[in-house]
Amino acid sequence: MSDTILRLDRVSKQFKGQYAVKDVSLAVERGQITGFLGPNGAGKTTSLRMSLGILTPDQGKVELFGKTPGASTLDRVGFLPEERGIYRRMKVIDVIIFFGRLKGVEASEARKRGLKMLDEFDLLHAAEQKVKTLSKGMAQKVQIITTLIHQPEFVILDEPFSGLDPVNQKALERIVRAQAEAGRTILFSTHVMEHAERLCDKIVLIAKGNKIFDGTVAEALGEVPRRVHLETTSEHNLLALLAPFGEVRRDEDARDGSHCWTIDMGAGSDAQDVLKACVDADVKLTRFEPVRAHLHDAFVHLVETHGHGEEETA
Amino acid sequence: MRAIYLIARREFLSYVATWGFWLSLASVPLFMALGFGLPILIESSQPTRYYVMIDETGGRLDAAYQASVEESRARQAEEMREAVSELVGDNPQVTAALDQQMATTMLDDGRYVRVDPPATDVDGLRPYLLGERLLDTSEGEMPLFAAIYLRQDAEGGIEIEYWSANLTDGVLRSEIRGALRDYMRAERLLAAGVSGEMLDEADSLRPVVRELNPERAGADAAVTASDRLPVVVAIGVAFALWVIIFSVVNMLLTAMIEEKGNKVLEMMMSSARHHEILTGKLFGVAAVSFTLLAFWGLLAFGGGTLAQQAAASANMPIGDLIGAIFNPGLLVPALGYFIIGYFMYGAVFLAVGSLCDTLQDAQTLMSPIMLIMMVPLFLVMVAADSPDSPIVSIASWVPVWTPFIMLARLPQDPSTMELLGTTALMLVTAVVVIWGAGVMFRMGALNQANQETIKNWFRFGKKQNA
Repeated sequence: MSDTILRLDRVSKQFKGQYAVKDVSLAVERGQITGFLGPNGAGKTTSLRMSLGILTPDQGKVELFGKTPGASTLDRVGFLPEERGIYRRMKVIDVIIFFGRLKGVEASEARKRGLKMLDEFDLLHAAEQKVKTLSKGMAQKVQIITTLIHQPEFVILDEPFSGLDPVNQKALERIVRAQAEAGRTILFSTHVMEHAERLCDKIVLIAKGNKIFDGTVAEALGEVPRRVHLETTSEHNLLALLAPFGEVRRDEDARDGSHCWTIDMGAGSDAQDVLKACVDADVKLTRFEPVRAHLHDAFVHLVETHGHGEEETA
Repeated sequence: MRAIYLIARREFLSYVATWGFWLSLASVPLFMALGFGLPILIESSQPTRYYVMIDETGGRLDAAYQASVEESRARQAEEMREAVSELVGDNPQVTAALDQQMATTMLDDGRYVRVDPPATDVDGLRPYLLGERLLDTSEGEMPLFAAIYLRQDAEGGIEIEYWSANLTDGVLRSEIRGALRDYMRAERLLAAGVSGEMLDEADSLRPVVRELNPERAGADAAVTASDRLPVVVAIGVAFALWVIIFSVVNMLLTAMIEEKGNKVLEMMMSSARHHEILTGKLFGVAAVSFTLLAFWGLLAFGGGTLAQQAAASANMPIGDLIGAIFNPGLLVPALGYFIIGYFMYGAVFLAVGSLCDTLQDAQTLMSPIMLIMMVPLFLVMVAADSPDSPIVSIASWVPVWTPFIMLARLPQDPSTMELLGTTALMLVTAVVVIWGAGVMFRMGALNQANQETIKNWFRFGKKQNA
């Protein structure tokens, strides 16, 4: 059995003459959590729809479980779309059974699994309630249950955190981790970097339809210059002193009169070397703060580097 | 197939498991009963009108009026007898029942009751006419509806002075005017030397009309109401077909807009292919409409059977009517036309629904479709009177109108070529429309198109033409 669950090979899709996705390739490996990141309108949803065969690419090739996506492969996938809703007038358990049966699960088995999952999600009390009586967070949990009811091998979540409050976002992170621990392969799209940074084994970054990064979170962070903030009370010219370590910039003085500096570290430089250079030059340091890069910084840096910085990010 | 079945099942249950559905199911026979009963109810609930008549000629005009009224009512009774006889045959029991009914009701309208005048001059009657004073009647104290003065001058000219506070109810006024007009005519003719016998004979002259069908000979050639029944029933079934198709495709439209608005469609697209969703929904609502038809059909059949039993005991040919309604030669094509018409219109309505987030959005797109759908309603009526009208013949070839117009024309034996040709064209069009609607549905469901896209197509067309 192939270890690659999903493969997009130089896939392009145009709408009204505009590229929604251009020449994108990516592979999702079995057992991994892959984050599909990009600003709004970057082409994430179009890529995911092509992955499922809902849309056909204009160019390139899509393989899901080694085959062109079709009805037989769809049953092995659980997809939570970005724009989601469920039948408001149906009972919660009936909705779950309906979607389970659509995915080939027997009604009795779907009921059994549905009740178990509702219990796990603290929603067992709502099983016989109409969907319209649920809060947004509760409804979203039900939608996730409908996505997972057939125990898919591959779970695709399109912007799963959007519209959720922080408590429910945490709860959803736990669900994603639990699914991964249960051996499922997960691909989720988001433009909120914190979730990707906490959850993903691998990220794929897309902007304006083009892939601009594909690798691990650590590799993405490696793309961002590390930064050190300094404050001094002496009158040393740090522009010259620290130039060998990277790009030095003088910021506005602090209110207590101390001088503020920022260094974007060059490749191969180390914050320890900067500190040593300051001590050796007898610079009176009142602050020395190496800044840990976040995926958000990597995201902004990569998007701006590739000329797609005008889009919204979170 | 699994997805189609499950989607169809869910659609079906989502309708039939609601109180609204069963209420609407019961509402049709209820409204039909109301349709028949309401005019009778309205008629019987009219208040009694009390009037006085003051004949200043010494009773001559009054007597003429009474004679004319009785003659007119006797004529109406005779016409009704003839109509009933044409419908149910010469049945002594029915004739006797009718005569009894006429004797008790027809000869005394009951709505306009003449009373003795409480005063003879207008000033004395005015408070009664204005409701300031009331008449003492068998119903209690009631206002005076009208006061009528009859006068005649030396030359024989008649003047009717009609006093009433009610300016809209002119039945009594017309009745008196008509009666006295006949009296004046008779008086003039008598004065001119025409004998009374001659006048009566002239009044009683009526042409005898025998309507005959050239397709039959001898006694069988006479056309009866039973011969017209298939045409009437076909028109009725064509209208019913239109109403049912229109009702159920509207269900599809509103359900689709709701799903689109609630974003359920996105979830569905992740679990089933767009053609499975489209087909499942069409089948689900088709099952709903068959439930409606089965319920109403059973009701009609039950009612018809009871009516037939009642009619059989009175030797009435109501069986002809039931036979015309449940004629397989009409019902089988009606079923076929329903299926094709439903799928054709249903697919279009679903596609429109998938393009719109609200009913308001849909209204813009629905307006031209509704206009197209209204046309066969008028053409069916034309087909009833003029089946050979070129407009009807041409319109029969318009595939979206074929189900209704051809159904209405069936009892009038359209040519085989017309029958097969229009059916073939309709089937081909249905396939193309359903395919096109499927493409539009997919685009709408994936938010790749909306109502503006359709509008832009037409704007683009206009620019091209310019």
